[in-house]
Amino acid sequence: MGSVTRTKLMSIMALGAMIGLLLLPILVAIPALASDGGAPAADGKKEGGDAKVEKGKDVYYKTEGIVSGPPAPKTTDSEKDYPRYNFESRVLLWFANQQHLYYGSFVLAVPIFCMVIEFMGVVTKDKAMAKRYDQLAYDFIKISLTAYSLTAILGGILIFTFLTLYPAFFQYLSGIFRPVMHIYALMFVAESGTLYIYYYGWDKMKEGFLKWIHLSMSVVLNVIGTILMFLANSWIGFMMSPAGVDEQGRYLGNIWHVIHTALWNPLNLHRILGNMAFGGGVVAAYAAYRFLSAKTDEERAHYDWMGYIAMALGVAFLIPLPFAGYWLMREVYAYRQQMGITLMGGLLAWLFIIQATMIGILFLSTNYYLWQALGRMRGAEKYQRYIKYLVFLLTCGFLVFITPHTIVMTPAELKAMGGQQHPVLGNYGVMSAKNGGINVIITTTVLSFVWYMRGNKVSTVSWSKFGNIFMGCFFFFAYLNIILLAIYGYYIPANVRVGLSVPQVATTLSCLFFMFALNSVMMKGAKQMGPIEWGKISARSQYALIMLATAFTWMMGLMGYIRSSVRLFWHVNEIMRDNSPWAYTHTVGFAANMISANVLFFWISIMFVFWLGALAAKKAPVEAKAAVPGRAAAPAVGH
Amino acid sequence: MKALMSVVALIGVLGLLMLIGMIFGVIPSNTVRLVEGYMPMQVLSELAIFVAGFAGLSYLANSMGIAFPRFWQGVLFWVFIQTYLKFRIYPPIPFSVRAMYGTVSFVAVFMWVSANEEDWKKFRQPILNVLDANTGFHKALRTMYLILLPLLIGGFSFMTMKPSVDEPIELRTVHPAPPASTKVHGKTYTLQTSQNPYRVNLEGKYDQDYSNKLIVEQGMGRLMAPNANPWDEKAEGYLKYVREGGEIFFQNCHFCHGDNLNGRGLHAFAFNPIPANFTDPGTIAQLQETFIFWRVAKGGIGLPNEGFPWASVMPPWEQHLTTDEIWKVILFEYWHTGYYPRTWD
Repeated sequence: MGSVTRTKLMSIMALGAMIGLLLLPILVAIPALASDGGAPAADGKKEGGDAKVEKGKDVYYKTEGIVSGPPAPKTTDSEKDYPRYNFESRVLLWFANQQHLYYGSFVLAVPIFCMVIEFMGVVTKDKAMAKRYDQLAYDFIKISLTAYSLTAILGGILIFTFLTLYPAFFQYLSGIFRPVMHIYALMFVAESGTLYIYYYGWDKMKEGFLKWIHLSMSVVLNVIGTILMFLANSWIGFMMSPAGVDEQGRYLGNIWHVIHTALWNPLNLHRILGNMAFGGGVVAAYAAYRFLSAKTDEERAHYDWMGYIAMALGVAFLIPLPFAGYWLMREVYAYRQQMGITLMGGLLAWLFIIQATMIGILFLSTNYYLWQALGRMRGAEKYQRYIKYLVFLLTCGFLVFITPHTIVMTPAELKAMGGQQHPVLGNYGVMSAKNGGINVIITTTVLSFVWYMRGNKVSTVSWSKFGNIFMGCFFFFAYLNIILLAIYGYYIPANVRVGLSVPQVATTLSCLFFMFALNSVMMKGAKQMGPIEWGKISARSQYALIMLATAFTWMMGLMGYIRSSVRLFWHVNEIMRDNSPWAYTHTVGFAANMISANVLFFWISIMFVFWLGALAAKKAPVEAKAAVPGRAAAPAVGH
Repeated sequence: MKALMSVVALIGVLGLLMLIGMIFGVIPSNTVRLVEGYMPMQVLSELAIFVAGFAGLSYLANSMGIAFPRFWQGVLFWVFIQTYLKFRIYPPIPFSVRAMYGTVSFVAVFMWVSANEEDWKKFRQPILNVLDANTGFHKALRTMYLILLPLLIGGFSFMTMKPSVDEPIELRTVHPAPPASTKVHGKTYTLQTSQNPYRVNLEGKYDQDYSNKLIVEQGMGRLMAPNANPWDEKAEGYLKYVREGGEIFFQNCHFCHGDNLNGRGLHAFAFNPIPANFTDPGTIAQLQETFIFWRVAKGGIGLPNEGFPWASVMPPWEQHLTTDEIWKVILFEYWHTGYYPRTWD
């Protein structure tokens, strides 16, 4: 009893230490913030009452502030400003940055999954199920731990690349963000400490009150991780839409203005959702890989289930992702119209078509996986015969969504078409149609999920017939509303049309929330046609999961490139010009090859991480293995 | 159910026969026309009718015990989509887009035929038979593939590598990003905030809501709104400026952009690409008035680097028109096409 109390006390102290670690950087930062960040004073300025105080106007907030830093350096194409190997420095930086981001996203997303799954394990009443969830969360964090070291290594490589290849730019950026970078470093220490205590304390804190303490640690871990990401986002936000500096790039003493730029919040939201979807995809791919290489039915059952959970979590964040992206683009247009046009209608427009294709692939893969998953349930045949109609809806939405506004064509084709715009397809190339297309795709995905959730069940509630008719009508009118609004969008001014996306999104989300809720109520106490036979899913479904993860990875690389290259020839938009020989925009083909190379490298390296994870699993003690669910133990209510 | 499916199947068969008739010229290609303004939805609706028709046919065949093999269903449906895109939609769709559509429809067919295990088995059986069945027919097929496949791949490689004298494919940036500001006749205009000085209400104040009510209405064609005729002698304010803009347009612009503003003027086909079609929802309807102002004033020669390959011969109209004339002609273009200039509020 005494030892239990001591363990409790130690756990509470560990949690307190974590919260202390979390607050420490903020406490450290307070004096810095109070003295306006303490950025280096401008050359030639002396402290003292008689020194003349120079004031500048904030380029974004339009407020006045005391000039507290040097102007942005005017670089030249020289070894001094841009030291180089006999190679394009930008490509090296691109590679280092992208790899760090992949791993960073992964290690930020996985602890969030762990938190959710561990929580599910704690609250579930079914003891066997609770054990399964707990084991799954542990499996997740185990994969993340190796990836965490790699993230730190890649972060180091990234900083060295900046310092050695872009010293003038990095000196300027670190001069402005000095306090933020220090807080970032401290937060990283806090993140590491918390993660290790969380991981190594798993077995010690697996029961009762201690489990809740352990769960609280995961909350702290994720808060730290999220703040870390927000801080890193402030640097790229500043590079795209600078604030807190004057026209010459001189820091005006308000660190909050520098952090809180026009695009910071949309970037934060977009990256949280993106990381989660990406993390889900990678874990699902891991499970698929283990499923395909499994030797026993028990292993197959476990990894089938793991893949499903990871996919479901990833997709839960994928569904709102296009809407967050839409908000980001809206803010980009509001910040600088030129930037928006360069992205969506100009130089980079074709990359957005590729992005649309990737988004379509993500949703198609998800739907395909769910249809395959129907195959492991008895009673799901009644839905399978209608899949062809869902394929049709998805395909129509997809075709509209990927139709380019600027069509690639030979001059002969252009002549035959009689102009740059095609009279039929041209209409699919604009935003109104595309909003309709993506909402049809997402609504169909929701419908697939609903079918999956009721695959092996028959509702026994007295109003089930009415409920089914209501659900059918709800989906029918949702499709109708989305399509009619997309058509209506052609007949109204653009600013009103932008607003139309709200009812379209609301329709899609209504389907998601209302239909999921209604379905859950209808399926409460439903008659089971048979258990979910975990492990009895087709191999094709697992390739769909791998496809899902690859598409996520490719799309992340693509969107990162688009976001970065929209600055064109600026290091910091309109403040610090890029005068290196590489300040041009790459061709679409080169960018695509580079993204593919990054994706390939990431997957090769993460395979190594998976392999390490598998090695650890082989050496796991017998009792830990016993907790891995077998097919026989798998309950029918697992979804 | 059977009666319903029979009707649906009948529609599918009729549609198919019509399409075949149109391809071979037996039925005039304008028998069922793509109606301007409705074409995008018409195409999707026609495809939906065909899908329903094929589902009806499949249902009837199954109920009569003469099921059509799933393999051929998949292959023929894909061929049908390609045929529809190639022959039904006019003007012809460029190859790059047809390739995209072809790939997506291929994936869609795969998803359909492999959605469940039973269908997938049915679909792949003929393929497996060709690979390992020991009947004489399949052996002959294998031999044929052994000869044909290398020939096809070789032929494809030859055609790909053969030097071509065709003009190269262009990825033209139709709407290059504009500058933040532009200087015309000595005055600087900030594109994000400038307004057309003639888009005014009866009190002379800038009022887009007012002008929006007076533009040409879109429907089955374009019609003037009631009491909104700029050529009415009593027309004042906005409508008067539209008329003046129209006069400028017909004196200077219609030779290329056409009297219907659809880019098909007298001289249009002397250029490649032909001039912009303002009636298309992808041109002026997507842009701010100030963007048009910048493009008109600076012409093709003023396009930024991003506008490569600068395939525009539009003159820099600031050399021929006053600033007021440029604003008025833009006013007329929006009025005539029935589109609203883009705004960001």
